[in-house]
Amino acid sequence: MKSSPDTVYSVYSLTKVYAGTNRPANEAISFNVEQGVIFGLLGDNGAGKSTLVKQMANLLRPTSGGVVLYGKPVQEDPFLVPLHVGYMPQTARTLNSLTVSEALYFTSHLRGCSRRGADSERERLLHLWDLHDIRSELCSRLSGGQQRLLQLAAAMAGQPPVLILDEPTNELAPQRRRHVWETLRAENRERGTTIIFITHDAIEAEKTVQQVGIMHKGRMVALGKPSELKREMNQQLRLALHFDPASPPDLPGDLRPQELAEGHWLVLLDQDRVEATLSALDLSRIDDFQLHSATLEDLYLYYT
Amino acid sequence: MIRTRLPLPLYLQFWDLFLIELSNWRWAWRNLVLTGTVLPLFGILLLGSFARELGSNALSFVLTGNLVMALLFEHMGKMISHFSYMKTAGSLDYFATLPVRKAVLILAASVAFFILFLPSLVVVLAGGALILRLELEVHPLAFVVVPLCALPLAGIGALMGVTFRTPEEASAVGRLLTVIMLTAGPVLIPPDRLPDWLVWLGYLSPATYAASALRQVLLGPLAMRLLLDSAVLAACILISFWMVDRMMDWREG
Repeated sequence: MKSSPDTVYSVYSLTKVYAGTNRPANEAISFNVEQGVIFGLLGDNGAGKSTLVKQMANLLRPTSGGVVLYGKPVQEDPFLVPLHVGYMPQTARTLNSLTVSEALYFTSHLRGCSRRGADSERERLLHLWDLHDIRSELCSRLSGGQQRLLQLAAAMAGQPPVLILDEPTNELAPQRRRHVWETLRAENRERGTTIIFITHDAIEAEKTVQQVGIMHKGRMVALGKPSELKREMNQQLRLALHFDPASPPDLPGDLRPQELAEGHWLVLLDQDRVEATLSALDLSRIDDFQLHSATLEDLYLYYT
Repeated sequence: MIRTRLPLPLYLQFWDLFLIELSNWRWAWRNLVLTGTVLPLFGILLLGSFARELGSNALSFVLTGNLVMALLFEHMGKMISHFSYMKTAGSLDYFATLPVRKAVLILAASVAFFILFLPSLVVVLAGGALILRLELEVHPLAFVVVPLCALPLAGIGALMGVTFRTPEEASAVGRLLTVIMLTAGPVLIPPDRLPDWLVWLGYLSPATYAASALRQVLLGPLAMRLLLDSAVLAACILISFWMVDRMMDWREG
């Protein structure tokens, strides 16, 4: 895969087979991540997403292929990744003996901030992630969600130009999830930070992701901008209908709904039939309806 | 234009990592009191009752041998469990994604755990001398010799902690190594009470040199043997840290 001067990461023919297993955790993966892009990696459990980002963070030795960061293979210089990448692991039990405040100070300082710079970076991150109230708490005593926010803050400490985040919104309440995506978008917009993240949840990533890679059974089955990938799918629109299961709405004769749940149908419509279909619906028998084009979740389901 | 910072100078990396590792006192102090203080004192009490009739030389082996045992169990054992926990919990990944040298992390952890262990060492030394009715003659060189005894064991502990797949495996092998190091050579028992082959085997174990050096600087008298002991212990530190730096790959295989 050809790289350009704006390429941050170049991954080529990357394969990982863990010792004692026959099936590769990931296989023949090649892609580039360009400067300033928000790159989302989607896939179900065991698809090989975490293995891939650990290889990109130089934490896992590839069986074959390689990872190049800013034009240099990651394994050549042990400080190449640490000086450019903030990594948030999937597990969150790393700094159990420190307080929240200490963890952020030390991470900032060790990433090369001056003492004063590390102090102000800590305050910025405590404010950004709303961690002020728990600044003196030991990390080991935090809830799962608080641990995730601390890990996010620690990954961003020292403002590295690249962030790799392994399921950043796991264990978070809905309002916290929204805050995470808003903050990551702002980080990308204001500082040009390249963000690579993993999520299972295509719906929550929809508004954030600019480039997407979909993994299935260790392979990258789709790669590109969501809009480009959606063009490869059928161009029908999606009409979602929510209604009382006791009295389902009548649809024009040839339309066949997919029942997603009780009282929840999805109808695929050609564009020229939208107006007629909506006119024919008895809205008094419908609680709610949404008409939309293919979403990231549709893409994810289509490719996996 | 890429924004990057420079890594901290080594002494600042060391200081930060040392403070991070020192914060382990928040969970480790209970264990230190129990296994670092109470168990060695019981060991002294038990072995001392047998050794009393053999004279003060045998008692001096009981005292310094138990100090070495405490160092092995507490210092080396803590390094094994700490590094294997860090590997399992993802802390090593955290440090591996920071611009710090792994040798500095190991040195910082070794020094921090040694400092955490020092109060136990002092209590065991004073309590043991009281139990065994031995007169302490602490030479100022003890301030150099005691860390010299501790650091090679810490390096070995860190290496074992990251080499084995699970904390359970690492800890089991660590206990086995501790028993071998305590029994091979004149550590707890004077050489005239051991078979010759075991005395000779002891020359391969850093614990033998540590026990000898501790006897000289804590109970006296100093002898030329201290030079040999110190040289071997210093070489063990260099070799163990070199091995850890070379063999400990933060990247998983």
